[in-house]
Amino acid sequence: MPQPPAPRDPRAVVFARARARAGIVPPYLLLRIAAAEEYYDVAAEAARRSLLRDEPMRELRLGGAHPGLLPHEHTRSTTEREGAATGAGAATEAAAPTDAERVPEAGTAEPVLAEPAPDRRVSDAEGAESLPGRLARVEGQPATGDAAVDQAYDGLGEVWALFERVYGRDAIDGEGSPLEATVHFGDRYDNAFWDGERMVFGDGDGEVFRGFTQSLSVIGHELAHGVTEMTARLRYRDQSGALNEHVSDVFGALTEQYAMGQDADAATWLIGEGIFTELVQGRALRSMLEPGTAYDDDVLGRDPQPAHLRDYIVTDADNGGVHLNSGIPNRAFALAAVEVGGFAWEHVGRVWYDTLTGGTLRPNDGFAVFATATLAAARDRYGEGSREVRAVANGWDAVGVEPE
Amino acid sequence: MEVEVSRSGGLAGLRLTWTVEVEDQPDPEEWVLLVERLPWSETPPAPPEPDRYTYRIRCEPHEATLAERQVTGPWRDLVDRVRDVAEPSRGRPNADGRAAPSRAPGPVTETDAPPAE
Repeated sequence: MPQPPAPRDPRAVVFARARARAGIVPPYLLLRIAAAEEYYDVAAEAARRSLLRDEPMRELRLGGAHPGLLPHEHTRSTTEREGAATGAGAATEAAAPTDAERVPEAGTAEPVLAEPAPDRRVSDAEGAESLPGRLARVEGQPATGDAAVDQAYDGLGEVWALFERVYGRDAIDGEGSPLEATVHFGDRYDNAFWDGERMVFGDGDGEVFRGFTQSLSVIGHELAHGVTEMTARLRYRDQSGALNEHVSDVFGALTEQYAMGQDADAATWLIGEGIFTELVQGRALRSMLEPGTAYDDDVLGRDPQPAHLRDYIVTDADNGGVHLNSGIPNRAFALAAVEVGGFAWEHVGRVWYDTLTGGTLRPNDGFAVFATATLAAARDRYGEGSREVRAVANGWDAVGVEPE
Repeated sequence: MEVEVSRSGGLAGLRLTWTVEVEDQPDPEEWVLLVERLPWSETPPAPPEPDRYTYRIRCEPHEATLAERQVTGPWRDLVDRVRDVAEPSRGRPNADGRAAPSRAPGPVTETDAPPAE
């Protein structure tokens, strides 16, 4: 069990705590699905805690209480959270109406709440393949007891938190649009997808896959497809399609890391951990850090993802192998994040977010152009010669992608 | 006559292929009728949806590639039929684009009715 490093800055305390918690189940010993399930429970618990934590804060603020008086548990990074909370608190005080002006209804007190909140809508397809299905839970409603509905609701909250609190993006469009999901899609449907408007999750066949809402990285992956569609619009075919997949894996993994307070060393870098049944010999759908190692199973075969450009798979299937070749940029990202160390969403994740939203990418761009754009974004944010720029360059170099 | 349905894509990127020898079926005429009335030449390319399946359906000399949301009507009938009578083989695509067999198909134990739609 690795020891937390000696404190070097205020974040080190948070870092050490995150590490200790992540260490409940050492990530790379999670070879069996039973263990993976236990691990996900930790993520789910983290999600519940964070929502519980936010709820009273919103209510108290309505009543005029200063959010700074509330106990604040440091489960995540925190510069953003505290910055946002303090900012919102100051705004609340400045804008606080007098008692005479105060209106009792929560809805009309809205302008006082400067801090944005998610607007989640989870529907239930009830085993059919029609969308959107019956509306099952909307923002602010209590848990329904249907695991898929509640997992989707909680998961959407975590993805929203990553994009809003870290990158300042309120929902998919950046303008607080509703986050919509449909669960229980189809009969033993073995997939989850983004249909252009909503995330759709099947229950799995129970033999290979259990439900797809069980993995926070999968929920983050689907929502990130929406963000890509609104920003860089990477065409879903061949290299640009593999980059589209890659971006979804990046923000899927970061959602999980952010929710669990994991640094780049403690992170599993797995996508879809916990969605295989115990019958499958495998940890997850993909490994960003070690593509090609996520599963090796009698029925499924071996994880086919390449980890280097020389192994790029040319195929007509899967829109030109978008779920296969994403392994190459995935590894570049994970290596860069590990090299910088600390919380990946704070540095390399930010570089990728800047790249995605910076307006320089074109829909047909391939690996080399994307790599160049990430280096430019890293230089813009951290400066030429920064360790972030070096790490990103080393990441691409390790997978054989030469920036143009 | 052989009918092959190959499903690729999906979040997991796993490829599944079902193959049916029509002559071995108890109702080969029905299969031939179904295959012949499929609109093979009317499958315009659909914009791909992230993580959705792509189906490639082959029956010499025909071949069509369909997005999941295009698999409706007679196409859906065919795909459901094929999935009912054949066990899928899994595996990464080989050079010829066919799925590599990864295990011997087990006996079909289910005699379930076609899915109610």
